[in-house]
Amino acid sequence: MLCFTLLDALLSTAAARAAEPAPSFAHEVRPLLSDRCFGCHGPGTQEAALRLDTQEGATEWAILPGDSESSEVIARVSLPEGDDLRMPPEHAGKPPLSREEVDLLRRWIDAGASYGEHWAFAPIEKPSPPDGEAGASEIDRFLNRRIEEKGLAIQPQADKRTLARRLTLDLTGLPPTPAEVEAFVSDDSPEAYERLVDRLLASPRYGEHRARYWLDAVRYGDTHGKHLDNYREIWPYRDWVVAALNANKPYDEFLVEQIAGDLLPDPTREQLIATGFNRCNVSTAEGGVIEQEIYTDNVRDRVDAFGTVVLGLTVGCAKCHDHKYDPLSRKEYYSLFAFFNSIDGGPNDGNVRDHAPAIRVPSDQQQARLEELQAKLGGLRRVYLRDDPRLDAAQRDWEDALVALAGPGVAEALVPTPVLYASEWRTAGPFTDNLKNVVHGAAPAETDAFDPDQTWTLKDGRTVGWEVRPDWVDGRPHAALPGRLASNVVCRTITVDRPTEVEVAVRSDDSLRVKLNGAAVYDHKAQRPLSEGPDRFKMTLKPGDNFLTLRVGNVEGPSGFEFEVLDATVLPTELVDIAGTAPGERSETDALLIRQAFRARTAEFPELEDLRQQVAAVEAEWLAVDRSVPSTLIFRERPEPRVAYDLLRGEYDAQGDPVERRVPAFLPALPGDAPQDRLGLARWAVSEDQPLTARVAVNRYWRQLFGVGLVQTAEDFGSQGSPPSHPELLDWLAADFVRHGWDVKRLFKQLVTTEAYRRSSSAAAEAWRDDPPNRWLARGPRHRLDAEVLRDQALAASGLLVERLGGPPVRPPQPGGLWKAVAYEASDTAEFVADTAPEKVHRRSLYTFYKRTSPPPQFTVLDAPTRESCTIRRERTNTPLQALMLMNDPQYVEAARGLAERVLRWDGPPGGGPTDTARAARMLLLATGRPADETEAESLAEGYRGELRRYRGAPEAAAALVSIGAAPPDPALDTAELAAWTMTANLVLNLDEVVTKN
Amino acid sequence: MDHHAYNALRSAMTRRHFFARGAMGLGGAALWSLSHGSAAGGGAASPSPLSTGGLPGVPHFAPTAKRAIYLFTAGAPSQIDLFDYKPKMAEMFDKDLPESIRDGQRITTMTSGQSRLPIAPTKYKFARHGESGAWVSELLPNIAKLADEVTFVKTVNTEAINHDPAITYICTGDQQPGRASLGAWLSYGLGTANADLPAFVVMTPRWSAKRDAQALYSRLWGSGFLPGKYQGVSLRSEGDPVLFLSNPDGVDRAARRRMLDRLAEFNRRTLQRVGDPETQTRIDQYEMAFRMQASVPDLTDFSDEPQSVLDMYGPEVNEPGTFAASCLLARRMAERGVRFTQIFHRGWDQHGDISGDLPAQCGDVDRPTWALVTDLKQRGLLDDTLVVWGGEFGRTIYCQGGLSRENYGRDHHPRCFTIWMAGGGVKKGLTYGETDDFSYNVVKDPVHIHELNATILHALGIDHKRLTYRHQGLDMRLTGVEPVEPVMELLG
Repeated sequence: MLCFTLLDALLSTAAARAAEPAPSFAHEVRPLLSDRCFGCHGPGTQEAALRLDTQEGATEWAILPGDSESSEVIARVSLPEGDDLRMPPEHAGKPPLSREEVDLLRRWIDAGASYGEHWAFAPIEKPSPPDGEAGASEIDRFLNRRIEEKGLAIQPQADKRTLARRLTLDLTGLPPTPAEVEAFVSDDSPEAYERLVDRLLASPRYGEHRARYWLDAVRYGDTHGKHLDNYREIWPYRDWVVAALNANKPYDEFLVEQIAGDLLPDPTREQLIATGFNRCNVSTAEGGVIEQEIYTDNVRDRVDAFGTVVLGLTVGCAKCHDHKYDPLSRKEYYSLFAFFNSIDGGPNDGNVRDHAPAIRVPSDQQQARLEELQAKLGGLRRVYLRDDPRLDAAQRDWEDALVALAGPGVAEALVPTPVLYASEWRTAGPFTDNLKNVVHGAAPAETDAFDPDQTWTLKDGRTVGWEVRPDWVDGRPHAALPGRLASNVVCRTITVDRPTEVEVAVRSDDSLRVKLNGAAVYDHKAQRPLSEGPDRFKMTLKPGDNFLTLRVGNVEGPSGFEFEVLDATVLPTELVDIAGTAPGERSETDALLIRQAFRARTAEFPELEDLRQQVAAVEAEWLAVDRSVPSTLIFRERPEPRVAYDLLRGEYDAQGDPVERRVPAFLPALPGDAPQDRLGLARWAVSEDQPLTARVAVNRYWRQLFGVGLVQTAEDFGSQGSPPSHPELLDWLAADFVRHGWDVKRLFKQLVTTEAYRRSSSAAAEAWRDDPPNRWLARGPRHRLDAEVLRDQALAASGLLVERLGGPPVRPPQPGGLWKAVAYEASDTAEFVADTAPEKVHRRSLYTFYKRTSPPPQFTVLDAPTRESCTIRRERTNTPLQALMLMNDPQYVEAARGLAERVLRWDGPPGGGPTDTARAARMLLLATGRPADETEAESLAEGYRGELRRYRGAPEAAAALVSIGAAPPDPALDTAELAAWTMTANLVLNLDEVVTKN
Repeated sequence: MDHHAYNALRSAMTRRHFFARGAMGLGGAALWSLSHGSAAGGGAASPSPLSTGGLPGVPHFAPTAKRAIYLFTAGAPSQIDLFDYKPKMAEMFDKDLPESIRDGQRITTMTSGQSRLPIAPTKYKFARHGESGAWVSELLPNIAKLADEVTFVKTVNTEAINHDPAITYICTGDQQPGRASLGAWLSYGLGTANADLPAFVVMTPRWSAKRDAQALYSRLWGSGFLPGKYQGVSLRSEGDPVLFLSNPDGVDRAARRRMLDRLAEFNRRTLQRVGDPETQTRIDQYEMAFRMQASVPDLTDFSDEPQSVLDMYGPEVNEPGTFAASCLLARRMAERGVRFTQIFHRGWDQHGDISGDLPAQCGDVDRPTWALVTDLKQRGLLDDTLVVWGGEFGRTIYCQGGLSRENYGRDHHPRCFTIWMAGGGVKKGLTYGETDDFSYNVVKDPVHIHELNATILHALGIDHKRLTYRHQGLDMRLTGVEPVEPVMELLG
């Protein structure tokens, strides 16, 4: 006993230290070893044949358990600066160990140098919460114990108004209305708070707000992100996320559908949309790229996203070499890669919005309209093609003439030009993604081989084949090609008996590529209407059948073509044949075909012309609705998986051994009966014994409310991540979350009903000094609102906010020239054109168009990421550029005016007129949710009166200020008053209290 | 420990290790205050007398440059037609590139499908300039006059062969998006020497080449994983020079002052009530914003420049948005202590029509570049201002598309390209590195882009290995994972 005390006194200078328990390997020692030592003596590299991440390695010679004095590790880290043998060496670029850190190692070694698994890889055991005051929640009991240990002063509960604003901002991303605050304040029942929580969790605004964090994590953007950075249509995925969160889809299902929705049995459209998660990676179509290289980049990006977002692991560190800190080999990395590498589409995005695989996602309304129009079209066609003895008699005369004309030598004798036989037009499409949206096969061959029965399965799920159009008469425009940013191929066979050169005239909307027997004849690459042209060119027909194709490309709007042979007589091949067959012997198809052809050509019957126009109008509308149907990028597996290889040094062209799909060995294995695909992987990720997924998720939610995670490095739960501040609480939360069916809303309710969440964020100077980031939560959370919340709050306070869920991204104004300054000229996002309609300009920030190479400055100035890579955690900075934006951005100025209009239109408090002071107080209430005290209101009113005097003398200035924004100012209001209140509101919206969650 | 705090502490420890040896460390409270400064952001960081907002302990050693100006020629200028003189090529016109030279190296799919890779010698005349006798082409007569002032590096190389990954690589240290840019690192490490202007300013002037110019990406000056305040600030020629700088129409400076005074009054009450130090920082930032509203217009107003200076930069200097105007702005920022100015001049991607577009591009930059260096020199600023000129990769000796004596095009070439540097401790009149007769492979003294960046950091007093930021488990740095060293031979 005496001996022990003496030894201890030798080792420790502070007597108190003797009482300290042995350090925790998982939470204290391992992070230190990882940071300073594992880089050279860890899983990836073992310099001097020493590895310190395993007990066997460490205790071979470097560490003698129980004897720190004789342990080489201690000797080395204690050497003075400049000593060659000191660890970590200078070249490692690691700071030396502090005295406290050396001491920590000493105590750990003396206590036996016990090793254990990295804390985050150990199974989650649900710890019992410590004892606590009666009524305190489990979470509070965990927290309070640490606060007591730290000797921090617990702040009282925040007042109800502060709480109402904090909670509403946290759960919906919007401020409460004064009425909502009052309702809560005046509700004295014990359930008042819980009721408020329930109401906010049920609001559709909840899902919008939660979605934003998720979209940062999965790097959602509205452009491809690289090079041309063209528009990418994937917003239906964004809307899926919002809907899933609002519906409180359990987190495990939420993940499974995103990772592998396409592999679920009979996946629904929604489950396919969810796989957009795997398509949010940046992509490129830069000229000169090497497909194998960008394919590798794309897949790695997906693997890294899975690792970061789901597992909280930096798996990407193992793409070139074994992970230096975590037990993940490069081979294991590429085994994960193997799950994500078999997408049924090429890596080059082709600069198109629907880079395959993509599906069409009509809204219910669109779907109904399409069906309605289809039915209408069917009805009209039935009337148009009905049996009618009068018409049929005329048709027989026309048929007879046709047969006569086709008699040997007849046509040649009548006309001086050569005679050709041409089949009716056939058309196939729309083909998108540069004809690459075809499943397992080639696009229509523009060659001399033609199979009229061929069909193509498009990657959006539709099947198309050659459709015969006997109603397309030469020399007339056919504005009937379907699709948006798509190509259609129309074709016919032309037969001649000798080599014949003909001149043709063709119009197209938009681009045109003509091939004859597979050889290019003519090309026109412009965006143009069908009225332009025609283009004239010659082509030479060979004796026999010639296969003519016109590929008509469409950028936007209607699409079509017109064709005419200028210097030859064209006889219709099929029609001549059918006309030569007795009516009773014709097949039904042939009979219909020739009737259709006749009725399209004859000019004798005015009622037919009328019907033709009706059909054309309905068809045009159908095509327009069809073109407006959005698409969205999805993930779909190829039928045969691609082989994945261990890439040596991470180089795409240095293939090592092929690898199987496997999960890392340090984590639980894939169950034996699990499918070896993404679905198996997804289910594994949310299986009960998976130690990471739940911890990572609850920590992320925790951070959204408290501003700092229990694990501060919310994106890294590996060795190099920061250890949790409350390890037992983290595990308790994770276990509880899983046990209650991954119920996210339930978790949020648990968190916001804690005492810790409800504490006042005001505190004495010592409290701020002792715990600046508020990890111990003795006070309530307080931090600057995120970019989107700030903007939405301003819109809400001003009464301008348009609350509509979902839809295509919108473009509220931004300073001119930002896109132009960076964009490639040919990019479809080179020119920023702001929306002007208030119903778009005033939407929530979630819906703002995210161009990834030049994101909205209103967001990036306030620390929003570019969405080019996964961001789990935004930093929060405080800069003069933010101040300039919040004061001067026209959107914020307009919001200030909106707020001014609200107080000017206000009738005043009950029983009193709307004095300046009352209006000032009202304004503060609208922005902060709390009533102003007299001094504040008086001060604002005084400021208002000063500005009013100035604006009375400068009416132009007043008019200029109030006319800023998308909506016009209220003409009923006095301009000078409105301008002066606008300046006052500009002040109010910039208050620290307003830009901060209190 | 707070994650920010960790990053600050890492540097603090280094400093402690330098300055507090023997004292066996500072107390916990003192350490906290060091790290707390950074955690609270901006204003509260412990300032060194000369700068604010940087990391403690940085610069790591006495810098030779206090600031830098990077003239980035985006698109990849042809080293073969500008600097890397290869006389032997004249007799190889239209001959195939020997397989021994290509040596199986990959080339882009823009030319890998060509049936031949015919050699296109430069059509431009080269001459030796200055006492150093450096070779410069006739396309850059003014830059040629700087020969004795600069170091040419002929052997800069990269792995990327397409623009997006290559420019992302040289500007942020990685081919994939997500990292912090050179300027963001500098502003993170060194802070600002003028609190009324941003530490890192970017300009994107117009250009004259007719073909589509390669795109830029905001990530090239972005903060990546670093906090957003370190991102480059665009100094624009259209609208407000700095985004949202101007007061709204109908609001004058006096009204803004009144608003700010009252705002500060309210915020001080909040500070008193709540105690959050961040509120004090916010009060300071609004004041800084107000000062910027004066300091930026002062910066962009050339009316105080003597005519003789304007003449140096050429007639375009008076047109906002030109390279010439950007160069003069860069000098004015150097005078005002802006840490890092980067001008991205686009249009250097000559896959074809070298004879049309390359002279046009050179016409944009030649005189203003010379003027900038000369102007800095005559003001005594060149000694501590590092100037860098160069693009993201080089161009091929073989022709892309049609080849004639008079006109040709060149594809991307990552294996060697020329950049030059001047001032700020860079050797004068040096040509460093050698390429083979084809300007295809490096023969002597290769300089990888990571080494180039390490050298730039070194000139600014930064050990690139120690300027790190913990992100996703790694101590990230600009110069990547593999060990590299600055090229000390370039520094005097």
